[in-house]
Amino acid sequence: MSSKEPVKPVYIPISMYEQIQERVDVSEFTSVEEYVLFVLEEVLKDDEEVEIVFSKEEEEEVKKRLKALGYLD
Amino acid sequence: MYKLNEDINYIVSGLERSGTSVMMQMLDKGGLPTAFDDSRPADQHNPRGYFELAGGKIINHLINGTSNLDLYKGQIIKITAYGLKYLPTGKYKIIYMMRHLDEVLNSMQKMGADIDREKDHVLFDKLNQFSLNLLKNRADIDYTIIDYHHIVTNPEREITLVGKFLGITFDYKNAMNAVEEQLYRNRAEKYQ
Repeated sequence: MSSKEPVKPVYIPISMYEQIQERVDVSEFTSVEEYVLFVLEEVLKDDEEVEIVFSKEEEEEVKKRLKALGYLD
Repeated sequence: MYKLNEDINYIVSGLERSGTSVMMQMLDKGGLPTAFDDSRPADQHNPRGYFELAGGKIINHLINGTSNLDLYKGQIIKITAYGLKYLPTGKYKIIYMMRHLDEVLNSMQKMGADIDREKDHVLFDKLNQFSLNLLKNRADIDYTIIDYHHIVTNPEREITLVGKFLGITFDYKNAMNAVEEQLYRNRAEKYQ
């Protein structure tokens, strides 16, 4: 989400805010807002159902890395 | 030794270097039936071992159709993310490990893989998303996601979640003892 995108306030219970803050403190997220946005984006993404396809080149790159790590012959 | 449902194949999965061996070790120490061999011995990158079958090359067997997963029903085996698309139709319960991609790439580099940080971040993120989509869309797979960072920082909570997912209370104390803070190598900068 760009910083210039218009926003609307959404309110959550303080207890939920504190629960999320506890999770943020032990994660790579930097704020409760960032965490909430991430979760909501994931939920909305599920509705969009985008199929992820690997190109032949991408798959060969993955296999090359796995061979180097000993996970493929 | 605890018993799992012998109609189900249990799998620990995730990107390579995402904590799959640690999870396998926890489950093994917790008294659950796990299947692995010593084809790939422990080393500096996995000091407690890899807990895998066929020296980690089970994916080749899946691709070739030479892997008989029926032999491992009721047991937990490790198949990393790329192998999931080769799973034959069956009945699966999968514990999928997630780890900060920077840490995954750090670990891959230390193992000697020639990593292009920018390109491989995109590539492995895509593999992760592909795998998660596969888990979600296959009707024969039941799955749970476990975060590697949480395993190290709060093993009791995470192993309890695993127990709930597997539908069995096992030796959580021994399972948690398998996790050592010093094994949290390649920690992403955020967590330092």
